[in-house]
Amino acid sequence: MSSEADIRAKLRRWILVRAQAESGRELHDDTPILEPGLLSSLDVVELILFIESLRGEEVDVDLIEPEAFTDLNTLYDTFFRARAA
Amino acid sequence: MGAPGRTLRSGFLRACERFAERPALWIDGAEVSYAELLRRGAAIAATLARRASGNDPPLTAVLAQRSVTAYAGILAALLRGHGFVPLNPAFPAARARQMLERAAAGALVVDAGCVAYLEQMLDGIERRLVVLLPDSHAVGTLAERWSRHEFVAAGELEPAQAWTPGPVDPNEVAYLLFTSGSTGQPKGVAVAHRNAVHFVDTAVARYGITETDRVSQIFDLTFDLSVFDMFVAWERGACVCCPSAKEKLVPSSLIGNARLSVWFSVPSTGVLLRRLGKLQPGAYPGLRLVLFCGEALPVELAQAWAAAAPNAVLENLYGPTEVTIACTVYRWDSARSPAECRGGLVPIGDPLPGMVVLVVDDSLREVAAGDAGELLMGGPQVTLGYWRDPERTAAAFSTPPGHPEIFYRTGDRVCRPAGGGPLLYLGRLDNQVKIQGYRVELEEVEAVLREAAQVETAVAVGWPLNASGADGIVAFLGSGTVDLEVVRQSLRQRLPAYMLPRTIHRLREFPLTAHGKVDRGALRRTLEEGA
Repeated sequence: MSSEADIRAKLRRWILVRAQAESGRELHDDTPILEPGLLSSLDVVELILFIESLRGEEVDVDLIEPEAFTDLNTLYDTFFRARAA
Repeated sequence: MGAPGRTLRSGFLRACERFAERPALWIDGAEVSYAELLRRGAAIAATLARRASGNDPPLTAVLAQRSVTAYAGILAALLRGHGFVPLNPAFPAARARQMLERAAAGALVVDAGCVAYLEQMLDGIERRLVVLLPDSHAVGTLAERWSRHEFVAAGELEPAQAWTPGPVDPNEVAYLLFTSGSTGQPKGVAVAHRNAVHFVDTAVARYGITETDRVSQIFDLTFDLSVFDMFVAWERGACVCCPSAKEKLVPSSLIGNARLSVWFSVPSTGVLLRRLGKLQPGAYPGLRLVLFCGEALPVELAQAWAAAAPNAVLENLYGPTEVTIACTVYRWDSARSPAECRGGLVPIGDPLPGMVVLVVDDSLREVAAGDAGELLMGGPQVTLGYWRDPERTAAAFSTPPGHPEIFYRTGDRVCRPAGGGPLLYLGRLDNQVKIQGYRVELEEVEAVLREAAQVETAVAVGWPLNASGADGIVAFLGSGTVDLEVVRQSLRQRLPAYMLPRTIHRLREFPLTAHGKVDRGALRRTLEEGA
């Protein structure tokens, strides 16, 4: 089971690559993900699928609130924290 | 509002008389009645009539997300006898500004969610604008900063009763929508009321829309398919159902939440839903109509939807913005259709009533049955052309030999099977590609790239390819000194997200065809090999 740091790093990398952010751009744990210049709502679906691959199991999309995609902290808390405990 | 002289607002106004208390909109989980929507639209229309000058072209721009004001603003333009020009706050402000300037609209309706974006847009606009903010109560700071323009807050709107309908010529523009332009500037397609009314009548009759229908409103308001969502529904008193932020994440949730009877989306939305496991057989028994348009429809997707919505009629619609929303249609039949499909794609079918199909060669002469050629469309849905661009209009809208009427050259390659049967879509003749249903002229991306990178040669290709078009764009640049980060920054300021290249490669030399032109096929093959 990957560590929290490992999961956060993977999420960070995925988002920056997907958003084609300029190299050296920082994505802090509390940087908004859905602002213009990062991810669009279409990207979010791909992100859900990536999260499923990291978790090794499906996400129940009916239970997802848009707030889950606010930043890396909310992503980790929503999709990974309960399982790690 | 008798038959002659009907315009795009006519159906909505008639529905307001018959169905005043029925819901016209379902938005943020709440219903807005026809009476209320009319009241809000009329207040905006009356205010615009009073405040805006009569010197500008009869167009009113609407800068809004999905809000009641967005729809009221669109209706207000029509109530005022104007055409509406929707602007998308997801676009870079420079692009929206460019569209507003090209339209030369003198008035702008802005909802609460777009005020910050408005300020970015206003930077650099010389012309005086009247800007209505029906959701905002204080516009003092805006007025101070932008003294050239006039800002009207919610409290200063005219009462709805002040609106009086004036006559509208059905040949006038009902809406102006921008599509990607190969020279680097988006083109404004001017659609007349008579074009739109013809389509709405066709759709309402074909689908038997009634006031009990609940229609999805998934398309962006800058996409002409949203005109179907709104005006086909409103023509018969049906309810237009808008997804919330949560429903936009997983659009199929709108089906149950809004109790939809009609689903209309691009195929790509369906593909995403299937990947999320949302197209289980029998999942949507309440849908009676499932429609797709905007990009090629893969056969497996049609099959999955037919199983997921077993009580629905499923149709594939085809049509460029220049021929008003959709102009050919194919009805899916689980028994018959698989044999009629080619290349893994569902046919685009047959022309809608009144529309004429021609399949022609390079000299615009009809090809033999069974041969491929360019699709030309004629009939009452052929639009006015490109706004204030006679040259590009003449290039795309012409009379082919032997036909006195005007046809639109779609640039799509099609064929009709030799033994008869539905029209098949085979691809593009040029460098236009569909990305998530959005139309992208690769040459527009290239023009912006050349400027941003200050190079002579820039090539953009759709990559990776999918059944309906491409997932994204990959760009190749000739040698130059401008840093790629600077290039990307520049692109982000000018192009919407779906047009941004995902990767940019520098090439010292470009592969050429025998004619000396850049060999795009060779470039695409290098991507295939590298994948």
